[in-house]
Amino acid sequence: MFFYNLRLAWISIKQNVSLNLLMVCAIGLGIGVSMSMITLYAMMSGNPIPEKSDQLFAVRIDNWDPDEAYTDYQGRETQPFQHSYKDAMVLRSSTIPLRKAAMYKGYFVVEPANDTVAPYGQVVRMTDRDFFAMFNVPFIYGGVWSESANDLGERVVVIAKETNDKLFGGEDSVGRQIKMGEHQYTVTGVIDTWNPLPMFYDLNNKAFGDAELLFMPFAIISHSEFDRAGNTNGWKAERINSHEEFLNSENIWIQFWAELPDAFTQDAFKDWLDSYVLEQKKLGRFPRPLNNALDNVTQWLEVNHVVPDDNRVMLALSFMFLAVCLFNTIGMLLARFMGKVSVVGLRRALGASKFSIFYMHLVEVALVGLGGGLFGLLLSYLGLFMLRESVEGIEKLATMNLPLVLMAIALAIFASVLAGIYPAWRICQISPAHSLKTQ
Amino acid sequence: MEIRPILSAILRNKTGAILLAIQIALTLAVVVNAMFIVQQRLKFIGRPTGIDIENIIVISSQGFGSSYDHEQTVFSDLELLRAIPGVKYAAHISRFPLSGGGSRSGFTSTTDSDAESVGANYYFAQNGTIDALGVKLAAGRDFLPTEILTGEQIDNGVVASSVLITKALAEKLFPDGNALGNLVYGGTGDSSRVVGIIEKMHGAWVSWDGLNQVLIFPGLRKDSGQRYLVRTEPGQRDRLIPEVESVLEKASVSRYLDRMEPMSEMVGRSYDNDRVVANGLIIVIVLLVSITGLGIVGLASFLVRQRTKQVGTRRALGAQKYHIVRYFLVENWLITTMGVVVGTVMAFGLNYWTATEFSLPKLDPVFVPVGILGIWVLGVLAAAGPAKRASNISPAIATRTV
Amino acid sequence: MLKMNKISCVYQTDLIETHALRDIDLNVKAGEFVALTGPSGSGKTTLLNLSGLLESATSGTYLLDGEDVSSLSDRQRSSIRNEKIGFIFQSFNLIPDLNLFDNVDVPLRYRAMGIEERRRRIENALELVGLSSRMKHLPSQLSGGQQQRVAIARALAGEPKFLLADEPTGNLDSLMARQVMELLEKINSEGTTIVMVTHDPELARRAHRSIELLDGQISSTQLFGVSAEEPDEKTEAESVA
Repeated sequence: MFFYNLRLAWISIKQNVSLNLLMVCAIGLGIGVSMSMITLYAMMSGNPIPEKSDQLFAVRIDNWDPDEAYTDYQGRETQPFQHSYKDAMVLRSSTIPLRKAAMYKGYFVVEPANDTVAPYGQVVRMTDRDFFAMFNVPFIYGGVWSESANDLGERVVVIAKETNDKLFGGEDSVGRQIKMGEHQYTVTGVIDTWNPLPMFYDLNNKAFGDAELLFMPFAIISHSEFDRAGNTNGWKAERINSHEEFLNSENIWIQFWAELPDAFTQDAFKDWLDSYVLEQKKLGRFPRPLNNALDNVTQWLEVNHVVPDDNRVMLALSFMFLAVCLFNTIGMLLARFMGKVSVVGLRRALGASKFSIFYMHLVEVALVGLGGGLFGLLLSYLGLFMLRESVEGIEKLATMNLPLVLMAIALAIFASVLAGIYPAWRICQISPAHSLKTQ
Repeated sequence: MEIRPILSAILRNKTGAILLAIQIALTLAVVVNAMFIVQQRLKFIGRPTGIDIENIIVISSQGFGSSYDHEQTVFSDLELLRAIPGVKYAAHISRFPLSGGGSRSGFTSTTDSDAESVGANYYFAQNGTIDALGVKLAAGRDFLPTEILTGEQIDNGVVASSVLITKALAEKLFPDGNALGNLVYGGTGDSSRVVGIIEKMHGAWVSWDGLNQVLIFPGLRKDSGQRYLVRTEPGQRDRLIPEVESVLEKASVSRYLDRMEPMSEMVGRSYDNDRVVANGLIIVIVLLVSITGLGIVGLASFLVRQRTKQVGTRRALGAQKYHIVRYFLVENWLITTMGVVVGTVMAFGLNYWTATEFSLPKLDPVFVPVGILGIWVLGVLAAAGPAKRASNISPAIATRTV
Repeated sequence: MLKMNKISCVYQTDLIETHALRDIDLNVKAGEFVALTGPSGSGKTTLLNLSGLLESATSGTYLLDGEDVSSLSDRQRSSIRNEKIGFIFQSFNLIPDLNLFDNVDVPLRYRAMGIEERRRRIENALELVGLSSRMKHLPSQLSGGQQQRVAIARALAGEPKFLLADEPTGNLDSLMARQVMELLEKINSEGTTIVMVTHDPELARRAHRSIELLDGQISSTQLFGVSAEEPDEKTEAESVA
């Protein structure tokens, strides 16, 4: 029956090509516009580390201005997103989390030994060795630096595959050296391409940027002064003229993550944070009310408004656009089906049931919807292409993957069948006597 | 006018009319809100910066190695840049305005520690930097060469004797208008005298509401990176970029150039999101209006076709062509207006949602009548064709059976 | 009232010319009741369309109420249809979305006429056809005969000088047909000129004169009544000549 109906649908569509093409265009436009927005939204709101997103926690404590709460870039009051060096050092010392890492973004000029590669600037993630195990970062060669290198801030480095390809031609470079600034750094490991989307561990800088291509021990900062590439925020008037003074200041610039695998460790860590802050209050720090926060990855993405409001509004508007296209299609379907009244009357007179008429027309609508979905896919490719051309750094977001392609087709067929229900119901009400009455 | 009979005809053919009215309502709601957002964003992007961004090339480079001497490099680079024909000014600045990166701090006009401080974006620059930016002084003067602090002095805590501030900051710090010649205090109590007031200059972050509050200290901080502003004769910018690049590459300094582009491109990137939102919504508006226009044409043609006999009869009974055109236009107008009434409510509802759920501004109500007028015009234009066709139906149709 | 001289009507398609009417000469006097008969395709409807200004002739002259209407603009022709001519169609041609009152109102709407005057005429016309109690009904709620009476009321409300009826009883059973016919005769007796197309010889006989068309030409004329006065026709003919 389905294939019979499919054949009939094809014949019927061929009878009125122009009206059916109009319907394909209307559905296609609706799908094209909404799928472009859905793609951006889906890419932005994806879970970057689904296997343990509920065990990884961004840690926040509130040592901000007593008179004025910390505000995010859009002026919403919240806990500060980063930590001072003093507090980060204390957080690093807690033994409660299974794994933990302090981190910030540094900037180095790499001077390759190889003359064919010119010196270049490189953003470096300065972090603790747990970073890799905590975030499931895959290694190709070697591994992370040792405990002692981590504690002492030895000049060691983990590099990404891209950096390894560039500097060492993709060989196993463990033990080789890289010159940055005035020092040589020894490679302990090479990681595979790793680009969580969004880059959840440091949303304060760029949510959809690329992950760093070089990693170094956080503790290096304790004995060497480097350029920092991330944001630094402060509220307290402090005289800072040296590296030492900067590390001792209340300026915040360090992110801190902890892996807390169960409710027990989560509660324990929370208590530990509270007791630390209460103790500091006695020393005159933490002038604000106790206001610590542990956010797992999904909560953290929410807190940071990783999907901008603009995208949510655009998504809503694009659905309204799709709705207009569908109402338009309903109108055209009604007009189209009313043109088939006498044929349907005849079919009814020859014994077709109401349901078979209804079914037959839904199949026809679904076929039109499939056409609309394909056209819509083409349009959304075009829309995303235009977006990639006009905005720098959106390449990873404005890309459709297979599930999204399938979703586009499914949405088109679902939406058009939804639009077809009323017209199909109307046409199946035609009385069998109709064909005999006229003419 | 024969509104009542037309209305009853619409009511007896509800489905098509309701479908179209819903389309029009949704269209109005979306278009009104989208137009409003587009206008907001275009206004936001188009704000005057006070800076001659069209004629400036921004260059940043990164020095490395133990032999790198920051002050030496900056002075010799600037000399080379100024010698290029077509370059009007070249100067150094600690960060680029409108780049999204910079420093901000609180300043006051008194030593009173309870005084509310005013946030300002601050830069370190030298004498001549304001010429390279192309900002205008509303009062006072530029820095004197003797006022410029060296990196050494800054590290040792020497306080700048003078500062330049923008008029917007001056008005906040000195509401009485006596900023020039007065002292500005930083958070640590250090003070500097205002020697010049800049008419207008944008700071670092386009979405910060203190964008116009800028303060410039005289100095060249120790740094491994250099940031140059090269302001060219009008129209020379693009021609000079390769020349500037080769001049800097020839200078024998251990550094690499990491940015070399027109300032307008850098500023454009800071507004990427707003531009994409505006362009995207313009596309949505155009498509939506076309789709709805087609919907109106569709329904009107359907009604005309369905009523061929009726129109012929009316013509046989003496209706003029314009009676027929008017009939269809009025019918269409009534349907559009029903949609528009619902759409107005929906437009405000949609805005209420975006304003409460997201931090989008409240709709400027003027867009509603503009949208309604637009929809009416669209309705008349779209229905005109089918109505014209109806008026050409021959009255002889009336005598044909079936 | 109506005078046609050498009227021809040719329909042209890509390949062939069809002569719907050839050189028709026809005079209808004021107050006359004329029946047009003939087999299908003989040109009855075309002649009716021409006389009602629904179509234009290819050649020939046509005087209606003493006025040459062969070369008027669409606008003038519409006005004449509206003010001087009343139509009754075989399939009634009532507007299904409008109630009886509004249906009768349709031609009046195309005149600059006050609401009071329109209401008076509509009510009188519906009274005359015996349907004044059903003014708010829709056409679909009436029988065929009643619908045709509404159509007659619609034609009469305009107070035309000249009534054109196209098979007015073609879609009706005999009882209803008789009622409609009686109504038409009554209207004619009050002075309105009527031209009626019919293929029913019974009905044709009830007119004053019956004209038979064949292949676009008048094949015969039969006189039944007394109204047709030769002298009158002659004087009109002379005045034209």
